[in-house]
Amino acid sequence: MQNPYLPMPVRVIKVTTEVDTGEIKTFRLAFVNKEDEERFDYLPGQFAELSIYGKGESPIGIASSPTQKGYIEFTVQRAGTVVPGQVTSALHDLEEGAIIGIRGPLGHPWPLEFLEGKNIVVVGGGFAFTTLRSLVNYMIYEENRRRFGKISIIYGARLPGLLCYKDELALWGKRDDLDLCVTVDKGNEAWEGREGFVPAICKDVAPCAENAVAVICGPPIMIKYTLPVFFNLNFSKENILTSLEMRMKCGIGKCGRCNVGSKYICNDGPVFSLAELDALPRDF
Amino acid sequence: MLRKIEQGRFGELIEALLARGPLYAPVRDDRGVNFQLIRKASEPTLDFYNTLQSPKLAWFPQSEDLIRYRLAKGETKGEAISGPVAPTVVLGMRPWDVKSLAIMDLLFLGGGKEDPYWLEKRRLTTVIGYGLASEEEPDGADFFRTLNIGAADSDGSDVFLLKKDGDLLLEGITERGKGLLGELTFLKEGTEEDERYLVAAKAGGKDRKTRFFDLDANAAADKLKAVFADNTFWEKEAEGCISCGTCTFVCPTCHCFDIADETLFRDGVRRRFWDACMFTDFTLEASGHNPRPRTFQRLRQKICHKYSFYIEKFGVVSCVGCGRCTRLCPVNIDIFSLVARAVNL
Repeated sequence: MQNPYLPMPVRVIKVTTEVDTGEIKTFRLAFVNKEDEERFDYLPGQFAELSIYGKGESPIGIASSPTQKGYIEFTVQRAGTVVPGQVTSALHDLEEGAIIGIRGPLGHPWPLEFLEGKNIVVVGGGFAFTTLRSLVNYMIYEENRRRFGKISIIYGARLPGLLCYKDELALWGKRDDLDLCVTVDKGNEAWEGREGFVPAICKDVAPCAENAVAVICGPPIMIKYTLPVFFNLNFSKENILTSLEMRMKCGIGKCGRCNVGSKYICNDGPVFSLAELDALPRDF
Repeated sequence: MLRKIEQGRFGELIEALLARGPLYAPVRDDRGVNFQLIRKASEPTLDFYNTLQSPKLAWFPQSEDLIRYRLAKGETKGEAISGPVAPTVVLGMRPWDVKSLAIMDLLFLGGGKEDPYWLEKRRLTTVIGYGLASEEEPDGADFFRTLNIGAADSDGSDVFLLKKDGDLLLEGITERGKGLLGELTFLKEGTEEDERYLVAAKAGGKDRKTRFFDLDANAAADKLKAVFADNTFWEKEAEGCISCGTCTFVCPTCHCFDIADETLFRDGVRRRFWDACMFTDFTLEASGHNPRPRTFQRLRQKICHKYSFYIEKFGVVSCVGCGRCTRLCPVNIDIFSLVARAVNL
């Protein structure tokens, strides 16, 4: 039996600084051992524990799509305002070529079978766009694209310099098989795109609820004001999906830390529909 | 299979078990009786009602090394510490503590992922349960009868031990238990009268009086979910709580743990150790956000986890009514009456 606590070695093959502040970086990792790569069979929405011996582990959503072969990507924000996050700080100090550890894939992916044949509205805010990016890249992959209906993406950040995956957004913008709407709370001289908060833009875009599923990830304040917009558009709670975050340690439903109601966010989530969340006690 | 030995020859039994491998048994010190890894045959005692702490430490030690690593310039390699655990015996577990193992199995071996450290020790450990003799009175804090556990239940034990007059009866329950008794050739055969005594004691154990209310697990689970949002109720219940976590540390079914790395020069271990949902920083996130910053939210989490969430997830109450949390709580919070109040709210 594979020990679920033992990380597999991965090499950092590329580090991309995503935002102006330098506080968010994307790490492209390649497995050192071929058999580990085969074992790491993941889908969009899942996460993994990134491990640095001597520092610890952090649960991070997988930002790449399984359709991207040969590597996996994680977008990591340097955590901690008062006390710096040990692992995320150490990750940010890493250079290409370094070897770290990974455990996973963990948790449940976005329910792809449920999403098939439906129009997908992806709504993301700031740095919480990571597993949504994975989902989009998965859906627009050549062989997968016809399995899904219309794809609309609404992605916002506070400032233009805080948008992640800028090059990719530019490429998506050129495609005619998806509608991309990128917004910032406040633009600058160079910014030619939309300005406005994500909830307002959602209201403006007003995606049709018929045969559609909204997949929403973002900071709590964005979610709070975005959900009513989708309710008004007649999206049912079964058709609104999100992904929860909570402090985690083991990632496999044993250590009890991420327990909410009868669910362990790590093992039973992190992906939930709003209907499922409604059934849980208000404790997150 | 029934064997017996005079109580005066208990040391001989311990000696024989020690010769086979590691042995955990109750030992008395100036604070009370606790399970310990035995070094000398004279250490264990059977003269106790309940141990202060639960015996869970034999399977889930307070601190347990998971991975060993050595920091290196290029690649730091880690190696799982899963080495062969020697066949171990835990002697003297009360029926409620034996029951806790089955409850913990659901978590550690369920959910589609097995915990290798728990599994290995479960596979290699022989449980010698220890029934409450008819002349021993349950403690006032106990309520195992509420959880439908008899004072002389042998389910879950490999060998079941019971005092009878000047003797100790040893019944082989599982194949492993029978095998162990077979090895201990100095034991005497139990008589038919011993057999009858044992059967009567087990049946009588079901009727032993402890605190009791008629607990319907599924109804309690639903009711607690309904009471969950009643902050006034929980604030009042948690008024005295000082978030010390004692209740979770002595609990036979509390399983929450933390994982941390400890490095000395270049050598380190990644280890897990008991943690408690009663602690302020249990759910504190790196961002500074804490979903349970208040004491009542954490007490509520503990109570609801045991009497609602665990039932919903695994179908059983995660409590055996051993009374330890009530006896050792410095501010007299009593889970039994708390749950009873919530259920009857």
